Amino acid sequence: MARSVWKGPFVDGYLLGKAEASRASGRNEIIKIWSRRSTILPQFVGLTFGVYNGRKFLPVQVNENMVGHKFGEFSPTRTFTGHSADKKAKRG
Amino acid sequence: MSGGLIAMGVIGRPHGVRGLVRVTSFTADPADLATYPLQDERGRRFVLEWRGEGIAAIGEVVGGEVAGGATRWVRDRDAAARLTNLRLYAPREALPPAAEDEFYLADLVGMAAFDAEGKALGTVEAVHDYGAGASLEIGTLIVPFTRACVPEIDPAGRRVTVVPPAEVIGEST
Repeated sequence: MARSVWKGPFVDGYLLGKAEASRASGRNEIIKIWSRRSTILPQFVGLTFGVYNGRKFLPVQVNENMVGHKFGEFSPTRTFTGHSADKKAKRG
Repeated sequence: MSGGLIAMGVIGRPHGVRGLVRVTSFTADPADLATYPLQDERGRRFVLEWRGEGIAAIGEVVGGEVAGGATRWVRDRDAAARLTNLRLYAPREALPPAAEDEFYLADLVGMAAFDAEGKALGTVEAVHDYGAGASLEIGTLIVPFTRACVPEIDPAGRRVTVVPPAEVIGEST
């Protein structure tokens, strides 16, 4: 069953303060978080979070398309080692 | 990657009795596998023609240039079975040039990483991309693949300059 709309999106409260502080500092920094359950809010766009996957903190660069998803969706807990072949990475 | 060769796919089990094989492609678009000059570890050259999803006709190039007349196509199941588990490689030079600020994963992996002062940090062991931007794994360090964190990339010199971001610890729940 989907979450009731009247409750609003769930987000751990301390993330809002951390995001605000990071944005105000304007530094090149990564916010390490364990809260995989938190919803990505519009005020997180442009920030980089290190989302713990049980072993390491994977960098998650938040963009508009990720709003509404959970942080955990972008930090898989199982290792996938594919072949690189002709795959490319774009520098953000 | 071994000696400038990049693994592009692997031949699987035979399909039917006419020499077709199942092929697993490692390329970003599986169909692109047929466009590369393919060879195995021993230097034998192959051409591939897709006949269905994951199913292809395979032929060994026996002449000088890759051409229809010089290709010995696999026509029966026994010959196809002998190719099972054969890895297909392409030379690095065969990949088309990447766009600006795009880098082949095969190039990035193995590059030496240095910080802004020139101190060695290790080598790039893996490139992760799970839909939230690429990141480089350098030993225990994982840095976002951004201009701020990776300002310089020298493909010819096989080195990257890394500026690790400051870390802010979020409260544990």
